[in-house]
Amino acid sequence: MASLITCPHCGTRPKEEFSIRGDATPVRPAPMAPDEAWNDYAHVRANPRGRIREHWQHVSGCRRWLVVERDNFTHEVFAVTDATESRGGAR
Amino acid sequence: MAYDYQTVHALEGTIGAVSERRANHLSVHRASAIASVLAAPGRAAEAAGILVASGEFEARFVAPGEWLVLSDVHAPETLGAELSVRLGDFAFVVDQSHGRVALTLAGPDAARILANGIGADLHIDAFPVGRAANVLCNHLSVNLARTGGDRFGIVVTRSFAGALVDDLKVMARSHELSVDFDTR
Ligand SMILES: [Zn+2]
Repeated sequence: MASLITCPHCGTRPKEEFSIRGDATPVRPAPMAPDEAWNDYAHVRANPRGRIREHWQHVSGCRRWLVVERDNFTHEVFAVTDATESRGGAR
Repeated sequence: MAYDYQTVHALEGTIGAVSERRANHLSVHRASAIASVLAAPGRAAEAAGILVASGEFEARFVAPGEWLVLSDVHAPETLGAELSVRLGDFAFVVDQSHGRVALTLAGPDAARILANGIGADLHIDAFPVGRAANVLCNHLSVNLARTGGDRFGIVVTRSFAGALVDDLKVMARSHELSVDFDTR
């Protein structure tokens, strides 16, 4: 587990300040998408080794949702960005 | 049926028995005017500008577009209304004067004491005067602000104030620390 996460708002913090929701890559299907698409989205996950993207929330800090790009094998952290940046940083 | 309500500080009766003042001192503010300010969507810059422009407020960073605002000028009873008038539609204001407890830790070992429970770099270059952030202190999330080279302001939710002071005493066990209210 990566032990230090650099929050873009708060600075470098121990992982204990965060809660991890999971994979940040699945894209939510359209509301009327087929059941198979929803089943895949809700239940089917790859279990990759290496570079992954996850949703982390800085619960004990700014409480913002972040996207952490890290390697689950080497524990290296490549990038931490606010989750809203994927849609232009609007809030 | 009518009730008479009395204002009792969250730490009343738990601190201040020892009047001796030591090298490091934790001062608990007796009456603090505190409000939470959350900028309206897309209005963080305007809200920040208004808070900074007036010298009457001390805005401590909580999250993007969110601050804890303290004031020595305004009373706890009026701070929320004063902020609402100035900020208008740019932000939402919630009074926290009786919901939070403000403390000041000052002394040559202040940063070392805090480092015993906080996992953030508190070196003056990494956390300079004027910087504030929410941090985890042992198991409590508190707002920490550096208000001087060896001086920190802490704001904690009222019900956790007792636990925080107990934690700080343990964190300061290798250092000289006294604890008291700012006024008797
Ligand atoms: Zn943060």
